[in-house]
Amino acid sequence: MALLSRKNKTPLGIYIHVPFCRSKCQYCDFYSLTTKEDSLHDGYLDAVCSHIKEAGALAPNYLVDTIYFGGGTPSFFGAEGMAAILTVIRKSFDVARDAEITFEANPDSVSDRLLRRLRSEGFNRVSLGIQCDNDDILKKLGRPHSYAQAVNAVKRIRKMGFKNLSLDLMYGLPGQSLQAWEHTLQNVLKLQPEHISCYGLKVEEGTPLYEYQDCCNLADDDTQADMYLSAIEILRQHGYRQYEISNFCRKGHVSRHNLKYWNGGEYLGFGPDASSDFGGRRFAIIRDLQGYIAGIRSGGQVLREVQEVPPRERAGEYLMMRLRTVSGLDPKEYEKRYLLPFGPLQKALEKHKEQGLAVKTFDGRWHLTPNGFLVSNSIISDLLLIQEKCKPIARRR
Amino acid sequence: MTELSKIRNFSIIAHIDHGKSTLADRLLEECDAIDQRIRAEQLLDSMELEKERGITIKATAATLSYTADDGETYALNLIDTPGHVDFNYEVSRSLAACEGAILVVDASQGVEAQTLANTYLAIDAGLEVLPVINKIDLPSARPAEVKAEIEDIIGLPAEDSPEISAKNGINIHSVLEMIVRDVPAPAGNRDAPLQALIFDSQYDAYRGVIVYVRIKEGTIRAGQDIKMMATGAVYKVVEVGTMSPAGLIPADALGAGEVGYITASIKTVADTQVGDTITTVENPAAEPLPGYRPVQPMVFSGVYPADGAKYQDLREALEKLKLNDASMTYELESSIALGFGFRCGFLGLLHMEIIQERLEREYNLDLITTAPNVVYRVTKNNGEVLMVDNPLDYPDPMEIQLAEEPFVKVNLMAPQEYVGNIMDLATSRRGEFKDMVYLDANRVELHYEMPLNEIIYDFFDALKSRTRGYGSLDYELIGYRPSRLVKLDILLNGDVVDALSFILFADNAYPRARKICEKLKENIPRAQFEIPVQAAIGGKIIARETIKALRKDVLAKCYGGDITRKKKLLEKQKEGKKRMRTFGTVAVPSEAFMAVLKLDED
Repeated sequence: MALLSRKNKTPLGIYIHVPFCRSKCQYCDFYSLTTKEDSLHDGYLDAVCSHIKEAGALAPNYLVDTIYFGGGTPSFFGAEGMAAILTVIRKSFDVARDAEITFEANPDSVSDRLLRRLRSEGFNRVSLGIQCDNDDILKKLGRPHSYAQAVNAVKRIRKMGFKNLSLDLMYGLPGQSLQAWEHTLQNVLKLQPEHISCYGLKVEEGTPLYEYQDCCNLADDDTQADMYLSAIEILRQHGYRQYEISNFCRKGHVSRHNLKYWNGGEYLGFGPDASSDFGGRRFAIIRDLQGYIAGIRSGGQVLREVQEVPPRERAGEYLMMRLRTVSGLDPKEYEKRYLLPFGPLQKALEKHKEQGLAVKTFDGRWHLTPNGFLVSNSIISDLLLIQEKCKPIARRR
Repeated sequence: MTELSKIRNFSIIAHIDHGKSTLADRLLEECDAIDQRIRAEQLLDSMELEKERGITIKATAATLSYTADDGETYALNLIDTPGHVDFNYEVSRSLAACEGAILVVDASQGVEAQTLANTYLAIDAGLEVLPVINKIDLPSARPAEVKAEIEDIIGLPAEDSPEISAKNGINIHSVLEMIVRDVPAPAGNRDAPLQALIFDSQYDAYRGVIVYVRIKEGTIRAGQDIKMMATGAVYKVVEVGTMSPAGLIPADALGAGEVGYITASIKTVADTQVGDTITTVENPAAEPLPGYRPVQPMVFSGVYPADGAKYQDLREALEKLKLNDASMTYELESSIALGFGFRCGFLGLLHMEIIQERLEREYNLDLITTAPNVVYRVTKNNGEVLMVDNPLDYPDPMEIQLAEEPFVKVNLMAPQEYVGNIMDLATSRRGEFKDMVYLDANRVELHYEMPLNEIIYDFFDALKSRTRGYGSLDYELIGYRPSRLVKLDILLNGDVVDALSFILFADNAYPRARKICEKLKENIPRAQFEIPVQAAIGGKIIARETIKALRKDVLAKCYGGDITRKKKLLEKQKEGKKRMRTFGTVAVPSEAFMAVLKLDED
């Protein structure tokens, strides 16, 4: 299908949302079902594969350089299904030889058989959700595994030859103290992952945790902030560079797929509730597996929102997403791309700099400090407000 | 022109909710003045706000054609009056246009302070006051007792007063017959020099101001050159006529005794002051009718657009409102904190709320309003006397020789079991007790003198809540008295926020300062740094709170590419910030200003 030489193609990320889990975690608001019904699993597989084929035909000028199976729990869905989907992706899209291909897994569903199969299919990165090292807390969260299982899973992932492993951790968990969190980090560092994500627990409406949040001893904002700062420091000491608000890695191991979200790259999502940013439009698939299956089968509507994003809004997204990263904003790039002046933003950033919330690098870029990341919503909304009032720079003739 | 003997000019006076507007509607209906099919509830109260609040803000008038039992057809001019203490002067001018007044008294509530106040206004104006007992169909109605009350308290014969239900149309006919029988026909000489009393006016986009008048002497007709005796303005009359509930009906002329309207290409209602006398240029009256008083706002407050960019919109909205409301004043003011806005003068707090609501509703503006204040009189050491309606203009304490604040005489009325509560309230508001009168076995009237400043905030609400709704209030200005006043400044992060400064009685400063700091702490969101909230008099800090720095406001997970949702969240946060004003380094939401105003609610 290569109509253009690969050099001239636009890079594309593909996200597969696998909406199945063994059990629902108390805090999770992602779209996922605990059903084991074969008809739904099979129906999902057929639908995703057909959907990918349809889309592939419309994207001949793209080169897929990252693929990400998230969920849900892809490892619970099983190796056969994932392998089948990946095969369809390769058939329908031009996939780069060195593409980053990630799957998410939980410690309780990574069998040797699954790992071996996925490794041989070309998956080269694993994101393992272990969250913390305390079994009582894991149980409270409704996680279907123990910490010992997690340690064991890491060993087997390594044994099967995966050289790029990411571990997901959470802080601010029920009953978790600052010391307990630091202990988790120290323990996890012994596992020597290439990449670590640390997410502060956010109580989302509609989750079971939301209902009993007041009586499970959650860390307050100040403690969460301390936990966050301490994580950044401990990880730094161990050679993990922070490259995004919640993400850390050893040299050369950034999540190329996730970086697309923050750097404004294009991506296509498949499966219920998956989001896309493609061809200038953002769209999302309905949060309903059966509706998705039926829609794909009958050629009906499966999108819940489609949004043409005008340049002005892209300029806002640029601030929003770039300020999540440590490489931050590039004033020249910003002005050139959106024809908006950076001066007013700079003025505000200078103030944040005085407060120790932002930094200007030697090459003129601006990024937030750890303390700045902690209050990034407040900083970003300030900047958005300033940006809204900016008049476009007149084009030079 | 209608013969004098066939004219009856009357108004209806009542306490709020005693059914004045409903009765007016029934009278109109009974006279077939309104096509029933298109009848909207409470026709005379045409402003949306009036309907919602159930009170009349602007007076209106209508001529009803009624064929009485004696076979004669009469022109009954009903002049509606506003029903709130803020509008006492307007009431008095409407009454001056009449020969009689129907006093509506609720058959279960009985006589209340406002009933009394308005009745005295009517009696002072020399009107024949005719009681009517309303709501007799309510189970709690006690018409006989209420009639006795009217005779005892007011001293009006009420034995034969009609017992009616305006709501259900019972005995309306007897009210009309009473009007024809007992309201005196107007007097006046239609050949005398013109004296027309302005009792209201309204701005119309097509005709300019429509002036509502009662002709006391002489005759007015289109083409005449007229002169406003108080303002001196001269106009040529374009049209005269009468008001029917369905609209204006042009006539050849209006003669003494009649009520009607005049148009004369007048551009703003400010040129047609209520109470002023119109005469002709050619044959002017020797003197104006008595009772005119230029409108004087009593309460002042800064009104600013929540979004500074909307300043022009606010200006235009005020200009338009002013066309129709001569009692409001506004002038440009600028605050370091709030930028450009207006210092507006109002008759009272209700008037202020009404204007604010109209600005927000009809002109779709978000406003920040500063604490209302009265006009203080300050004599400086050098003998200069200042009238201060804006805390920003309050001189340095060192320069002040004498500070005075306006005092009012307050009449409070309630069943006697609430006397203790009322006394507590009045004392806490610096009220000086004058006397107490038993109106009957159960009801008392208390007279106090107190600073106007203590009444303008929430006194009426506090009175209502302490008397379970039975208390009523009426007040009038009695002049200035020396007082110990201080200017309280509020500092956010060390900077004075001028828009939050206000003048108050020295003894109230400490508790008030503490409360304001607490309220601001509650209403100002945590910022990226710690914010001290302080209250100061002169340079001295007398209260302090601290808003802790914001530690955490972050979307930890931005993931799976669902950026739309996060975007909405940040957009929402951004929009929230638009409703805030930045003072030095601190962003303050407009709700914080409201919270400071509503200090006494808890």
